[in-house]
Amino acid sequence: MLLKVEQIETYIDQHHILQGVSLEVPAGQVTVLLGRNGAGKTTTLRTIMGMTPPAKGQIIFQGEAIHQLPTHAIAQKGIGYVPEDQGIFADLTVEENIKVAMHKEDAETKDRLAWILDLFPDLKSFWERKAGNLSGGQKQMLSLSRALVQNNPLILVDEPSKGLAPVVVDKVVDALKEIKDHTTILLVEQNFAMASALGDRFYILDNGQTQLSGSMQELAQNEELKRKWLGIA
Amino acid sequence: MDVLFNLTLNGLATGMLIFLLAAGLTLIFGLMHVLNFAHGGMFAWGAYTGVWVYAQTGSFTIGVICAVIVGVILGGLMERWIIRPVYGNTMQQILITVGVMLVLSEMLKVVWGPNQLSSHPPELLAGSWQVGGFIIIKYRLLVILVGLLVLIGVQLLLTRTKLGLIVRAGVSDPEMVQALGIDIRRVFMIVFMLGAALAALGGALLGPYSGVIHADMGMEFAILAFIVVVIGGMGSIPGSALAAVIVGLAGAFMNYYVPDLSLAVNLLLMLLVLIFRPQGLFGAKGVQQ
Amino acid sequence: MIRKLTAPPIWYGIIAAILLILPLVNDSRSTLILMTQIFIFAVFAMSYDLLLGYTGIISFGHAMFFGLGAYTVGIWMNRQDESLFSLLMAILVTVILCALLGYVLGVVTLRLKSHFYAMLTLAVAGLFQVGAEKWRSLTMGNDGFTFSIPEWLMDRQLFYYIAFFFMVGGFLLLRRFTLSPLGRILQAIRENEQRAESLGYRVLHYKVISNIVAGIVAGLAGLMYGLALRFVNTGVFGVDITLDGLLMTIIGGVGTLVGSIIGAALIQIAHDWLTDLAQVHWLFERWIILFGIIYILAVRFFPQGIVGSIQRLADRWKERKM
Ligand SMILES: Nc1ncnc2c1ncn2[C@@H]1O[C@H](COP(=O)(O)OP(=O)(O)O)[C@@H](O)[C@H]1O
Ligand SMILES: [Mg+2]
Repeated sequence: MLLKVEQIETYIDQHHILQGVSLEVPAGQVTVLLGRNGAGKTTTLRTIMGMTPPAKGQIIFQGEAIHQLPTHAIAQKGIGYVPEDQGIFADLTVEENIKVAMHKEDAETKDRLAWILDLFPDLKSFWERKAGNLSGGQKQMLSLSRALVQNNPLILVDEPSKGLAPVVVDKVVDALKEIKDHTTILLVEQNFAMASALGDRFYILDNGQTQLSGSMQELAQNEELKRKWLGIA
Repeated sequence: MDVLFNLTLNGLATGMLIFLLAAGLTLIFGLMHVLNFAHGGMFAWGAYTGVWVYAQTGSFTIGVICAVIVGVILGGLMERWIIRPVYGNTMQQILITVGVMLVLSEMLKVVWGPNQLSSHPPELLAGSWQVGGFIIIKYRLLVILVGLLVLIGVQLLLTRTKLGLIVRAGVSDPEMVQALGIDIRRVFMIVFMLGAALAALGGALLGPYSGVIHADMGMEFAILAFIVVVIGGMGSIPGSALAAVIVGLAGAFMNYYVPDLSLAVNLLLMLLVLIFRPQGLFGAKGVQQ
Repeated sequence: MIRKLTAPPIWYGIIAAILLILPLVNDSRSTLILMTQIFIFAVFAMSYDLLLGYTGIISFGHAMFFGLGAYTVGIWMNRQDESLFSLLMAILVTVILCALLGYVLGVVTLRLKSHFYAMLTLAVAGLFQVGAEKWRSLTMGNDGFTFSIPEWLMDRQLFYYIAFFFMVGGFLLLRRFTLSPLGRILQAIRENEQRAESLGYRVLHYKVISNIVAGIVAGLAGLMYGLALRFVNTGVFGVDITLDGLLMTIIGGVGTLVGSIIGAALIQIAHDWLTDLAQVHWLFERWIILFGIIYILAVRFFPQGIVGSIQRLADRWKERKM
């Protein structure tokens, strides 16, 4: 198991936000985290990244406990993060945004960068533009590129379809389909079509707890579950 | 004409000294959101170290180098033991840095006594040149030159190096920088030490410039630097440089023509900026609630 | 951090009684002067606590009110006759000026983030100091001036009692104020400004009120200070006056009012005592370092200060007993 999250509980200020989240992310797959707004999906990803460290429970990545490490050390272990708001450095150029994430300049990294730019040709054409001027979809691509450029075995992607036009969502889905052949993905997604197009396994989160898990295929066929937990008819 | 020229040169030199102080303040604030009320203390320590070492060794250069080293050390200690533990708590930060300012300036009096120290430019830089009808005081020119070099150096550092890249990224989103695998605390420390070093350099240059130094100077210059940082825009180095020149020139001219209103004019300028353009001339960060 | 005082009122009674008897037992000039200074600075520090502890405003220019009060009484008494009536007028003028200053400064600058407010107040107080230095026709510049006060006020013992009741009155008044519905709102702002705002309170409005009240009280403390010395110079606008108020409040205990009194006593006594020791060794003249370090440690490790820490210990002890 690439990542194992065991019964984590997280507080923000005094609020008990995560009250027992457990999940497993097998290598080479796309694991989807589903749940209503405010269920705690973003907080789960942030807890894995050490931005809101858990008060209880543990997080094991590649056999190593990481829940007490600072954020930068967790990232260095090989987890890339694409936050909900994309976390673009608006005043920096596209190139500079990627350079911040590039800690090596060896041949392997350069190859990967070339692959990324093939994947997202838009970035190449806006290479020296301020990232703040990119469109929503391009920002999403830039954020994904930053997470990929370091050869991370795992990337956490938070609602990549949020606020994007349907045509653009399709582009992102295509990109993620190619990316999943290279790295493991833990994906948070509200757009069920997208989730089922990409996902292998799913977890449903509600009220800060994992409620249900299984294979994405089963869930896609089970209307009752979808209605009960996700409010989709 | 001679007077105008002299006042301009004087204002530029003072402006550059203020800039050395403001550069650190603005960088530290931009990156860490810490307004360091002890920054003037670094400046005063730089001034005393510079003057004292110069007097002991007879070498102005060694004095300046020692001052910068003291600045780096003070900055490092302060970041690690004072700023880092209260990071993220604005109220504690403000209160604790002002306490450090108090201790730093009292410590100066413990080490060097409560009286002011006097200093003079080294022989090489003493006196002035006569160019055409103008008198150029050599030391002033040096101060302006150093200020410009620092401005260029810091700009190059920010735009051409990986460290500078990280600093600029950190200004817009420090959490994301960490999520990309960078230990931002180390960057904070480096920037803090750099800022303290620049302040100490400014202090060391001030000694021979003003002839005498005293412990309360730290606060006086810090207030000017605050004004500059607000006018220039928090986090903006070019903004600070421009504002420092404005404040320096305004100070020099006002001091000559209407000495009573010199500080008042600068303060008024700051107030107007805070009210009508709170992000400053260059900055993008809001300072209002 | 803010709790109702748990100390039984009997303690207040005992301490008040001791302070009332003190001048009858020990009427040495230096003791009376020291105690008077403590009372006056206690009021100044309490006014600071109203800002810092009860509203969450950090000002580095609180001395501007203090200085305004001191200069007002000095200039007024010098220009008018030295009757009780002129003194009352001076008090009135101080109140008006400080309220005005508090209002204008608050409306213009309290909307700024706390960093900028602290910085701005520091600079404005500096401006007052420069103003007092340059407006020579009114202030006699840097050296300041002496002035006369009503004959009967010169009696040290009487002045002691006046200062004592000034402090008690200031304490009761500010306590009333902080426990009033208005004071509760201020504390809500201090605890969480956004929440207070979202509950529909006009935060700026309340902060300005707090600033005005703190300003008036500080101005009156400055006035008393002027009366005690019968002399005023630009030092009353100095940063060190503000820093004294800050040290007293933080060391004594933020948000408790009593803490400010204890802090004022500690710092004034230490000042007095250590300045004497300066004849033994010059290092003692730098006593403020000691307090600076205590202050830093207090901000860092026991932000509740002396009173707050005692209260916490007492609470814990009570819990254990129950
Ligand atoms: N900084 C915060 N302070 C208080 N509550 C928060 C904070 N961040 C998130 N929450 C709360 O935590 C819950 C989970 O939020 P989040 O993880 O963002 O949910 P999701 O991503 O599933 O929509 C929500 O109820 C939200 O209101
Ligand atoms: Mg979310």
